[in-house]
Amino acid sequence: MKQIISYIRREEWSPYVAGTLLGVVGILAVWMSNSLLGASGAFENLVGLAGQAIAPSLFDNMYFNYVMPPGITWGVVLLVGLFFGGMLGAATSGTLKWGKKGSANSDDQWKSIFGPQIWKRWLLAFVGAIILEYAAGIAGGCTSGLAISGGMLLAPSAFLFIAGMFASGIVTAYLIYRKRY
Amino acid sequence: MSTYVIALFLGVAFGFSLNKAGLTKYHKIVNVFRFTDMAVLKFMMTALVVSMSGLYLLRGLGLVTFPAPPATYIAGNIIGGLIFGFGMALSGYCPGTCAAGSGEGKLDYLIPGLLGFFVGAAIYGLTYQQVFPLISNIANEGNVVIPDLWNLSPLLTVLFFAVMSFFLFYLIDRAGLQRKKEI
Repeated sequence: MKQIISYIRREEWSPYVAGTLLGVVGILAVWMSNSLLGASGAFENLVGLAGQAIAPSLFDNMYFNYVMPPGITWGVVLLVGLFFGGMLGAATSGTLKWGKKGSANSDDQWKSIFGPQIWKRWLLAFVGAIILEYAAGIAGGCTSGLAISGGMLLAPSAFLFIAGMFASGIVTAYLIYRKRY
Repeated sequence: MSTYVIALFLGVAFGFSLNKAGLTKYHKIVNVFRFTDMAVLKFMMTALVVSMSGLYLLRGLGLVTFPAPPATYIAGNIIGGLIFGFGMALSGYCPGTCAAGSGEGKLDYLIPGLLGFFVGAAIYGLTYQQVFPLISNIANEGNVVIPDLWNLSPLLTVLFFAVMSFFLFYLIDRAGLQRKKEI
């Protein structure tokens, strides 16, 4: 029992143990809710909700009316859970960053490559996030909604997506890191 | 109501696993593309092996029916993946890990990250009609799964995937050991 608790409190688990937990979560989502895990779709549901409240005529299109109807969907609740799950995980290992120094540019490797400037990190992160969400839309899901959820059902789309993701990820990382690759 | 409770519970467990696997850290995600830390790949493949074995077993026992799998439209899946990998190497996160990282209190996840996803979602929703039908019409196979598409035994397909994964884990660890020796 003591060993289990001390393992839970570790900052990093074996990827096999953490992966098994995610696999069980994926099974339970299908079994209990007949739903697939995902994250990128929830952002669409939420932005539709905000958009139709702020600029109803702009967001009155086929996509927001029929393809991804706005609202507090199962996926949105899952996304809220993700937020608190990350919080819980960090809390158990005492690595919460709320109000701590360095929380605005949280990664040492990033700082050693790009420097300590916060604006640089925020700019690249912001642009990266826009690209990620748009790409997830084109592909039909993100790492969780397509790669994991599609892969566990053995959908070919998931493996095509994973192949594309690794191919360009490797090239991009090489271009960014160059000599330090 | 109860379905929302399940979603919340599963979301927390999902975010917890992302945190413990280290996926809420920029360097963990980028280093898998540099072949210096393969934890992300191990984590994803393990999750896939566990969940596909469990789901196909449960379906074999008649305990679950599958929801519609994500659609296969070859060009779109690959192009989307290519753009996605670019964004991932740039930011060091994906939509799920950004939400979990935000919960940890990392401001570079909470503010530019979540904001970027909302902006990206709005741009996608507003340009959907001009972009998506074009791409998804190319080589569209619909909501298929591999065993049905190629007429394979589901059991053997899962087994094949599992064996391939274990072999890959073995190769990764061997390569890692060799590198240590060299240093």
